[in-house]
Parts: sequence; structure tokens; C-alpha cells
Amino acid sequence: MADSGGLMSVKRCDSLNSSSVSMETITALTELEDLERVYQQLCSEEKDVEVALDKLVDQQGLINTKMMTLQRMGPNLQLIEGDASQLSGMITFTCNLAENVSRKVRQLDLAKTRLYKVIQRADDILDLKFCVDGVQTSLRDEDYEQAAAHIHRYLSLDQSVIELSRQGEEGGSVDASLLMLQEAEQKLKVVVAERLDAAVAAVDLVQVERFFKIFPLLGLHEQGLARFGQYLCSQLASKAGENLLLATGGDVNEKRAPLVFAETLTLLLEGIARVVETQQPIVETYYGPGHLYTLIIHLQQECDRQAQKIVDKFIQQRDYHSKFQVVQNSMMKSPVPTERIEPRELDPVLMEVTLMNARAELYLRFLRRRMMADLEVGDAQSTTQEHQQNVEKLLKHCLLSTTMQELIGYYIPMEEYYMRESVNKAVAMDSHEKGQLTSSMADDCFYIVKKCISRALSSANIDCLCAMINHSTSALESDFREVLYNKLRQGYPATTLQDFQRGVSSAVSLMQSSLQQGKFNALGIESTEDAKAAFLVTLNNAEVCSENITTLKRNLENDCSKLFTQGPASGDRAKIDSCLSDLVNTSSKFKDLLQEGLTELNSTAIKPQVKPWITAFLSVSHNIEEEEFNEYEANDPWVQQLIVNLEQVMVEFKTGLTSASYDTLTSLMTSLVAIEMEKTVLKCTFSRLGGLQFDKELRSLVAYLTTVTTWTIRDKFARLTQMATVLNLERVTEILDYWGPNSGPLTWRLTPAEVRQVLALRSDFRSEDIKRLRL
Amino acid sequence: MSMEDYDYLFKIVLIGNAGVGKTCLVRRFTQGLFPPGQGATIGVDFMIKTVEIKGQKVKLQIWDTAGQERFRSITQSYYRSANALILTYDITCEDSFRCLPEWLKEIEQYANSQVVTILVGNKIDLAEKRAVHRHRAQDFAESQSMVYLETSAKESDNVEKLFLDLACELIREAKQNKLDNSDAAPMLGEGKSISYLSCCSIN
Ligand SMILES: Nc1nc2c(ncn2[C@@H]2O[C@H](COP(=O)(O)OP(=O)(O)OP(=O)(O)O)[C@@H](O)[C@H]2O)c(=O)[nH]1
Ligand SMILES: [Mg+2]
Repeated sequence: MADSGGLMSVKRCDSLNSSSVSMETITALTELEDLERVYQQLCSEEKDVEVALDKLVDQQGLINTKMMTLQRMGPNLQLIEGDASQLSGMITFTCNLAENVSRKVRQLDLAKTRLYKVIQRADDILDLKFCVDGVQTSLRDEDYEQAAAHIHRYLSLDQSVIELSRQGEEGGSVDASLLMLQEAEQKLKVVVAERLDAAVAAVDLVQVERFFKIFPLLGLHEQGLARFGQYLCSQLASKAGENLLLATGGDVNEKRAPLVFAETLTLLLEGIARVVETQQPIVETYYGPGHLYTLIIHLQQECDRQAQKIVDKFIQQRDYHSKFQVVQNSMMKSPVPTERIEPRELDPVLMEVTLMNARAELYLRFLRRRMMADLEVGDAQSTTQEHQQNVEKLLKHCLLSTTMQELIGYYIPMEEYYMRESVNKAVAMDSHEKGQLTSSMADDCFYIVKKCISRALSSANIDCLCAMINHSTSALESDFREVLYNKLRQGYPATTLQDFQRGVSSAVSLMQSSLQQGKFNALGIESTEDAKAAFLVTLNNAEVCSENITTLKRNLENDCSKLFTQGPASGDRAKIDSCLSDLVNTSSKFKDLLQEGLTELNSTAIKPQVKPWITAFLSVSHNIEEEEFNEYEANDPWVQQLIVNLEQVMVEFKTGLTSASYDTLTSLMTSLVAIEMEKTVLKCTFSRLGGLQFDKELRSLVAYLTTVTTWTIRDKFARLTQMATVLNLERVTEILDYWGPNSGPLTWRLTPAEVRQVLALRSDFRSEDIKRLRL
Repeated sequence: MSMEDYDYLFKIVLIGNAGVGKTCLVRRFTQGLFPPGQGATIGVDFMIKTVEIKGQKVKLQIWDTAGQERFRSITQSYYRSANALILTYDITCEDSFRCLPEWLKEIEQYANSQVVTILVGNKIDLAEKRAVHRHRAQDFAESQSMVYLETSAKESDNVEKLFLDLACELIREAKQNKLDNSDAAPMLGEGKSISYLSCCSIN
């Protein structure tokens, strides 16, 4: 049908335009050719139209049959409409029915729930009655556990249900039951409290624990813990009292005596720790998790009281405060000489205090662990934060902590005093044994510093440790370094002996004979020798100190990580590290001191002697011919003597200094030799053979110096070696074979001007040739 | 920034009576917060902050000491190596001001002679409770050749300025020292009075 529509529209369109060629066009045509073309076109159009018409005629039959079918369908449609409206009626009906049913189901459900509640309430009422009866009998039988269980049952009943029940028909009887129960509850509470008190008074642990367990059933957690805590405290108190009496009584074992207060404190803290350990399961089982904290608050009060007593006695019997006062006064450097304490006298008390603090620290850590574990079991995440803060507050601000902080506050200045006095003493009593590189004070001082820091470390108090590291740094850096510095400042004595050594050997024998005749001041020479030795020993001391400090730091780092394995707060670690790095910085200050000392030694003891030996080079002519060259060959004029002299001047340092220091000194000496040689050579004139002679001499010298030091000396002699090369040339222009693009691996240390200057030293080179050189 | 990546390292130690707000000042500067329920400091606390001043990285080691008497001997051990001391009092607490001479005595006894000391009056947000007049503190500071600065850790007033100015002064002194030392006069210099330049643009 759509097709026919389409055709129709095509047709209409065709009739409008009738043809693609209009009449006007045709009439306008004049040429035959055009007419024929148009005719052809019209013919083909006609044929198309005919085909289309045929198609339309063919369709007529089909359309007729379709129309017939449609006419037959009319009555059926009326039938369908009737059916549909009937269906809709049925659906509405069903829907109403369903809604009615579901309302009833809902009512039924409600009824069921109420029924359950009724049963529950009946149960509760029955329970209540059972409880009432049960409590009565249990109370009569003194079966307090059972009675408490009944009360606990009653307390856990829904209070609103009970309230409702009282309004019901049975209200009267329920009321009566409730009253009885409440009475029983009160009675039980009183009885249990009385019995617990009695048990506490009678120190009857079994009964105490029995009634302690009943309290939480009656909802009396705090009370139970308080009374139980009181019991435990009284136990602790009497034991602690006994222990303190023993400690302060006359007959303390001599071996125990020096640490008796630390031991008494240890007994107290261990006692409490044991109590916590044994009671924790009971508290956790009967009171639930999270209640250990409450119990510990009670215990800690007793701990504080008892610890205070022990500390008071300690302070009194050990004269702790007066010792501190004396120390304080003597450290103030007051102009009036005051009473002093021998550092040795402080040893025991310092030890005891650190031990006490260590024990307290250990105890507090134990409590923290236990309470945290208990809280973690008990609480949701949200509350732990607050509890954690409470725990920290309890531990940080308890009297035990503050008391210990006070003791440590006094300990630190005393330990500092101990260290400084002992170091001063070690310096004052310094002695040097012949053959030893260092003197006694180097090791003694380190022994002392190490001892003091170790003692501070043993207190397990990080701030205390850090304070002592700081004091050690300052004692080493100012006090001890000052001592070494002052000794070095006295310098290395230049002696008459050196003057003689510098002279001819006969002078030595002259001096010796003079000595025998007592003409020389033997004492003077001896003290000069001492001063020399002292200078060298001080240098060695500085070196050893520098090493000792590094070792000390490394050892302390190890000790700290061992002691605080539970991982100190990262802040604590950073504190220790910072203080230790200050300590180790002191090490390089001793190194600097050593370096300064060696430089001083080089310029006062070596340089004045070496200079003339090198200047002697000037008196050996290098403007020589074959004959002299050969004679020099047979009879060395200079370098062998120089080597012997150098060997001799260094020998005392070789035996007197550590090998590292000696090596540094030798290096300084070789630099000195190189510089002086250079200056001297520039004052000489050379022949060709003289240049060769110098080259030989330089080689011998370098070969010798290479054997005495581990430092490379080639570099130091590079300029001299190049000077020798220049002095050895055949002709002036030969330099160009070694210069610029021809230098090969050689890096010239001489500037062009210097090369000219050296060339000019050759008597046989003409200055015009040198001037003409292009370098 | 790596740990060792700095041009200068300075140690700053805060001292002063308990409760004047040392910890709050440090926390404000290092963490940018005013800690609620701040408990008294036990011993010393240690914090690090690296700041940049004129393109140079300055690492500040800040030691926050406890003001309570029983920690005095611990805190004293930190004076000697301090480059700067921040002496703090509480402007609402006359007592904390009256203790200042005592603190200065401690400084004299334990600190090194070149230490830079600055006086800080904290808690200026509590203006209505002020007990120490600004001029009084200013005069006192001048008489001791100290710089004086008033701060509020709570309101963050002058806290940055305090630490940055101090860092600038320390840099200046460090450069000065280097110059002095290059004069081949290695003996210790005299303690200098501190002339203070507000050289920093606070960034
Ligand atoms: N209003 C106000 N209160 C402050 C300010 N700074 C500190 N506080 C309060 O002062 C009290 C003590 O502050 P801390 O920073 O703990 O004092 P501290 O000097 O570190 O005390 P110690 O550690 O005991 O030496 C706290 O309650 C702070 O909230 C301030 O700028 N304004
Ligand atoms: Mg604080």
C-alpha cells in the first residue's frame, strides 16, 4: 500500500511537469538534429509511463482482497472490548482481596511478637520469683556467690519490663517480689562488703579473693577494686616496712650495704609487679578487660608512698643532699676554698642512684605494657587514645617518677664533678714511662669518661645519659684539650745539643768531655730532653685521644641500641644521636691539635737544621768539568751527607712518635726539603756536567725519601725534577722536544718564565738563545 | 632534601620558667599547631626544622627544655654547645619575669661567651591579663643587651619572626667569625654585644 502511494505521488509529479521537455522548448527547436533527439527522448519517456501504468493495473486485484478481509474483522473487535473490561473488573477484585489478607497477616505477626513478649515477661516474672526464692535461701545458706548470681540476674532484667509488670493484674505480687529483691540486694551488698572488710582485716587471702569476685556481679566494680586494692596495698606496705627496717637496721651484710636502698626499692617494685602479674587474670575474668588500670591506680598510690619512704631514708643516710651541696659549692669556683669531696667517695652513691632509677624505669615500663595490653583487649579504637593518655599521665606524673627525676637532677652535677675532678687528678698525676709513646693521662682520662657515661647509661634515663655525654664533650674539649694545648704551646725546645750536632763531629766529643768535667749544666740538658719528650708524648696523646673518642662513640652507640631494644621513641634516638655527634666532633679537634703540633715541630725542630744542610749545596760548585765530575763520582760532595743528616734528625721522632704522626711529620719534612732545594738551586750556576751531577743528586735524594714515608713524594719533587731536566739539556732549543705539543705525558709544573730562569742558570747557554725561545 | 643538605647548622635552646609556653612556641614553629592539653616537658625535647634564608638552607636544631626545677641540671648541660638561647617568660605572669636575672646568671655560668640570647615575652593574646608592661621588659632587655620580642604561640604572632630573625643573626655571626679567624688570630674573641638586624624578609 505504501508502494502504491509512492507511485501515485510520482504520477502526480509527472502530470505536473508532464515531461522533462516542455512544449516551448519543442516549438523553439529549429534544427532537425535537435528535433530527432527530443523525439527520441519523448518516445522513451512514453515507454516508461506505459510500464508504470501496467504495474498499477496489476495491483487492483490484491487491493480488493485486502478490503474484503477488513470488512470481515469488524464484529470480532466488539467481542474483544467486552472481554477486556471483564478482566479489569476481576483484577480490581483480586487486588482488594490481597490487601485484606496482608493486613490480617500483619496483625497476626504483631500478635505473635506480643505473645513472645508475654512469654518472655512470664519467664522474667518466673525468674524474678525464682530469684526471690533463690536469694532468700542462698542468703540463709551464706551461699553469697549464688545470691549474687541471682541479684546479677535480676539486675540484668529489662527494667521497663519489670515496671510494666507492676502495672498488670499481678502487680501486687511482683511489687512484693521486687521489694524483696531490692532488700536482698542491699543486704547482700552490705554483707559482702562487711565480709570482704573482715577478710581484709583478718588477712585471709582466700576470703578476700572470694568476696572480691562477687562485687562485679552486684555492679560494684569500682568498690570491689578499691577494697581489693586497699588489701593489696596494706600487704605491700607491711612488707615494705619490714624491708626498710632491715635495710636501715645495723646488721646489713657488708656486701649488700652500699646498694641496700636500691635493693630495698627493687624489692618493693618487684613485689608490686608480682601482684599485678598474679591479679591480672582474676581482674580480667571477673571484672572484664580495662579494669587493670583502676587497680594499678590504687597500687601506685602505695608504691609512691613506700618509694618516697625509701628515698627519704636513702637521702638521709647517704647524706645525699649535703654531698650535692658540697659538690655544688666546689664547682661554683668560689674564691674561698671550700670543703671538697674526694671523687672516689661519691662512687657508691652514684652507683646506687643510677641503679634505683633503672629499677624504677623498668617497673614503669612493665606497668605500661600490662595496662596497654589490658586496654587493647577491652576497648574500641576510639577510647584507647584517651586511655593511653591516662596511662602516660599516671606513669609520668606519679610520685615515683618525679622523685626519681629529682634524684637524677642531683646525680648529674655530682657525676660531672666526679668526672672533672678525676680527669684533673689524672692530669696532675700524669706519668710517662720510658719507651711508651703516650703518657698515663691519655688512657686514664678515657677510662674515667667512659666510666661516667656508662654509669649514666645504666640509669636507663635517656636525658641523664645525654646530659653526661654533653658534660663529657665539654670536659674533653675544654678541660682536657686545654691541657694538651698548653703543653704544646710551650713549644719544642731548640737546644745547644742541636747546635753541636749541626757542627763538626769533633764538637760532639768536645761536648761529651765537657760534660764529664761538669762544665755543662747537665740539669739543663736533661730538662730540655724531658721537654722534648713531653712535647712528643703530648702529640701522641692528642692522636690517641682523637681515636679514643671515635671508639667511645661507636661503643656507646652499640650499648644504647642494646639497652633500648624495645625501641625508644624516635625522638629519644635523635636526642642521643645528636649528643653523640657533638662528642665525636671533639675527635677532629684533637686531630687539629695534632696537626698544629706537627707543623710546629717541623718548623722549630727540623727546619732550622735542614736549611743549612741544603744551603751547603751552594758551596759545592756545579759549574764543573769532566775532572771534577769524576772526583764527585768518587767522593760524594753533598747529597750523602744530607741524607745521613736527615736520617739523624728524624730518628728521635721515629722512636718518639706514633707511626702515623711520624709519617705526617716526614711528609712535612719532605715538603720543606723540596721548597728549600728549589730556592737553593735557583742561586747556583751549572755547566752541562753540573746539570748531570744535580740530576744524580736529586735522584739519590728522592730515592731515599721514598723509602722513609708512605706518602708519595714524586709530586712534591715534580718541579725540582723538571728543573733537573732543563739543566740537563744539550742545547737551549732542545727544550722544545719536551715542551708544548711534545710534552707527552709530562705536565709542566714550571711556567715558561721559570723555564727561562732555569735555563739561564746554565753558564754555557746564551741569553739571546733563551730570549729567542718561543714557549 | 637529604639530611645533610644544609649550609648552616645551628643549635637553639629554649629556657625559662615552667609553663611560660616554650613547648608551644616550638610546636607552633616546627609543626604549625598549638597543642591542646600540653603536659609539662620532661627533661628535654628535641626537634629539627630546616628553613631557607636568602637561598641558603639553615638547619635549626631546637632543644625545648623543661622549666621545672628538678630538670635544671639536665638542661644546663645543653647551654655550652648552644649557638642561641631563647629566654622565655609569660607576660601574664610577673613571677616568670622576676626570675629572669636568675636565668641570666645560669647563662653566664654555663653558656659560651659568643651565644646569642634573645628575650621573649609570650602569650600576648592574653592582653587583658598582662602583668608585665612592655616597656619594662624592653628596658630590661636593653640593659642586658638582648633583643626583645613579644609572641603568641596560640595566635602564631611573631613566632616565625622569632626563629627566622635568630637564624639570620646566627648566619651573620658565623660569617663574622670566619672573617675573624682568617686573620690568623685563632684566640677566642670577646663576647660581643649583639646588634640585631631584621635582615630577613619573612618568607
Ligand atoms: N593563651 C596562650 N596560652 C599559651 C600560649 N603558649 C602556651 N600557652 C599555654 O601555657 C601552658 C604551658 O605551655 P607549655 O608550652 O607547656 O609551657 P612550657 O614552657 O613548655 O612548660 P614546661 O615544659 O613545664 O617548661 C599551656 O597550657 C599552653 O596552652 C600562648 O601564646 N597563649
Ligand atoms: Mg615544655
